[in-house]
Amino acid sequence: MAKKITGPQMIVANLLLDGRVVFMRADGSWSPVAGDAAMAEEDADVEALSALAQKSAAANEVLSVEVIEATTRDGKPFPAHMKFAMQAKGPSVRTDLGYQVSPTWEQ
Amino acid sequence: MYAYDKYDHAITNARVAEFRDQVERRVKGELTEEEFRPLRLMNGLYLQLHAYMLRVAIPYGTLSADQMRRLAHIARKYDKGYGHFTTRQNIQFNWPKLSETPDILQELADVEMHAIQTSGNCIRNVTTDQFAGATADEVADPRAYAELIRQWSTFHPEFSFLPRKFKIAITGAATDRAAVKWHDIGLIIKKNDAGEIGFEVLVGGGMGRTPVIGKTINEFVHERDLLSYLEAILRVYNEQGRRDNKYKARIKILAEDLGAEEYARQTNEEWARIKDHPLDVPEEEAARIKSFFRAPPLPVLSDDVPAVAELAKKNFLFGAWVKNNTNQHKVPGYVNLTISLKPHGGIPGDATADQMDLVASLADAYSQSEIRVSHEQNLILPHVAKKDLPAIWADLDEAGLGSANVGLLTDIIACPGLDYCALANARSIPLAQEISKRFDDIKRLQDIGPLKIKISGCINSCGHHHAGHIGILGVDRKGEENYQILLGGSGAEDASKAAILGPGFDEHGIVDAVEKVVAVYLGEREESEEFLATYRRLGPAVFKEAVYGAR
Ligand code: HEM
Ligand code: SF4
Repeated sequence: MAKKITGPQMIVANLLLDGRVVFMRADGSWSPVAGDAAMAEEDADVEALSALAQKSAAANEVLSVEVIEATTRDGKPFPAHMKFAMQAKGPSVRTDLGYQVSPTWEQ
Repeated sequence: MYAYDKYDHAITNARVAEFRDQVERRVKGELTEEEFRPLRLMNGLYLQLHAYMLRVAIPYGTLSADQMRRLAHIARKYDKGYGHFTTRQNIQFNWPKLSETPDILQELADVEMHAIQTSGNCIRNVTTDQFAGATADEVADPRAYAELIRQWSTFHPEFSFLPRKFKIAITGAATDRAAVKWHDIGLIIKKNDAGEIGFEVLVGGGMGRTPVIGKTINEFVHERDLLSYLEAILRVYNEQGRRDNKYKARIKILAEDLGAEEYARQTNEEWARIKDHPLDVPEEEAARIKSFFRAPPLPVLSDDVPAVAELAKKNFLFGAWVKNNTNQHKVPGYVNLTISLKPHGGIPGDATADQMDLVASLADAYSQSEIRVSHEQNLILPHVAKKDLPAIWADLDEAGLGSANVGLLTDIIACPGLDYCALANARSIPLAQEISKRFDDIKRLQDIGPLKIKISGCINSCGHHHAGHIGILGVDRKGEENYQILLGGSGAEDASKAAILGPGFDEHGIVDAVEKVVAVYLGEREESEEFLATYRRLGPAVFKEAVYGAR
């Protein structure tokens, strides 16, 4: 699954029922806010998080689990790459939609 | 328009019920994602970056006003108030919930629509000329044949698991508005000396990472033989197409490997075996299908409408809109009116629910309740009386749909790109927006003349960049968005492959490069020469120098 990447990592997935993007907290629960995500540096920690995510996928809560590179933004975890940053925010051409509006994206 | 018979209704309703059951089992955990994914894809449900995405087929790009209103309703009730019309004449909804998808599909089935075969390695929605059945320049209406192909290919058991996806396009006019040469199979309607209708058949066109222009394997297949001949082509492909490598699995690779002559020979050999079997359409059935596409009863009117000419003189924008957005109808006094979905700084192909409703009511009032979707991501009212143009323009303009840029530089095709698409390397839409802001003067656009810019966010080429007069391809350069510029492509009857001009740019540099290319053209063109002709005459060198010279 995940490529061996160095540096801090975080886990992103989509919720099964509505597809919305979620990030894994340290306790294995999911948050719509990237800043809530657990960051792991050591291989063992990444694997532990990854195992929790796989368990959640197997329990049919999420799909499309990915271990991704993380960075910090305003002191909080945030995806390092464009594609996942896009997931954390919403479409750049519709700033009225997605998480850039609210963590529930219902507005 | 085609109207479902009881079989069509039965199979679409059964399909919705089946998918409802599959979704329930997935939600309960009785199906894993691995098991469910192919099932949802068969019903047009993808997973994109932010959410699921539902791709709804608009068979051969034809919609009734009621169907359009239903799309608007779906956008409002189940999505975020808008939809995206695509280069394959489909519509995509970007935010549906898995749990609500069966309801959406039922709402579609109720107006004779579905999302079947909008994904997967099967025969996809057949595309055609957006002016089909209404344009002055066609041999015959391609929609009846497209419908026939739809019926034959829907749930075709032998062709449900082809080596790769399969796209057929058909044109009834010599002017190719359907990019038929870029499709797995392209069909061009022709008449033989006896006045009978048939098809020139091209095989092996396609975009993606290996762009290929289709080659003719038969100059004239009689209309009565259409399905058996297609069946023979597909059978050769299904047996020999490469299943070991997804990048080599399209028919274009097999057709290149075999060569057009050998492909034709094998097709003929297979065809000889099946030709006289009952597959081919009984005449009554062909006549029944054709009867749905009878031309609407339009009373002949004068092509000279003083009120339109006067308003055009007074109001430059209206005049430009009439000039650029209309095409001559086969009945005098009428036009095919293109509604540009490329407003200044807007998102190519996006329409809000309110805009969809407006287009539906205009279709009811002025266009026999008919609407078309073009592969260039615009909407068309096919049967508009010239005298009604001022009233229609007033309504469209008020709703932000009055752009007069059809066929001009800002009538840009752009795929969803990294703003939505999980496969993307780079964003496409913001480039289209930036270009449309830099070239926002309609006088300047008209002076530049016909120029097609096509943008894809990755090599899959959903935005047709290989066929752009100017093509733009998004690539990933060390984690940054980077854009290559290509010149000289065409999706029309003079199809050609665009060639990469040189190294890529960032998102600002690429827009500068487009401006430089246009400046070279304006400086070098001879009289009324269009961009593509100038490029073909001069070759890439002068453009290259202008774009990269100063580096
Ligand atoms: C969920 C989003 C999409 C996905 C996953 C997707 C995937 C792909 C892939 C993998 C290919 C390359 C096929 C090949 O070379 O074998 C392709 C080609 C293509 N897609 Fe998409 N696409 C998406 C959205 C779109 C949209 C929005 C359009 C229309 C605007 C579109 C129209 C096309 C066209 C015209 C081609 C190139 C023609 C060809 O098949 O050779 N796709 N797509
Ligand atoms: S070209 Fe690439 S980025 Fe654009 S829609 Fe197709 S797959 Fe996505």
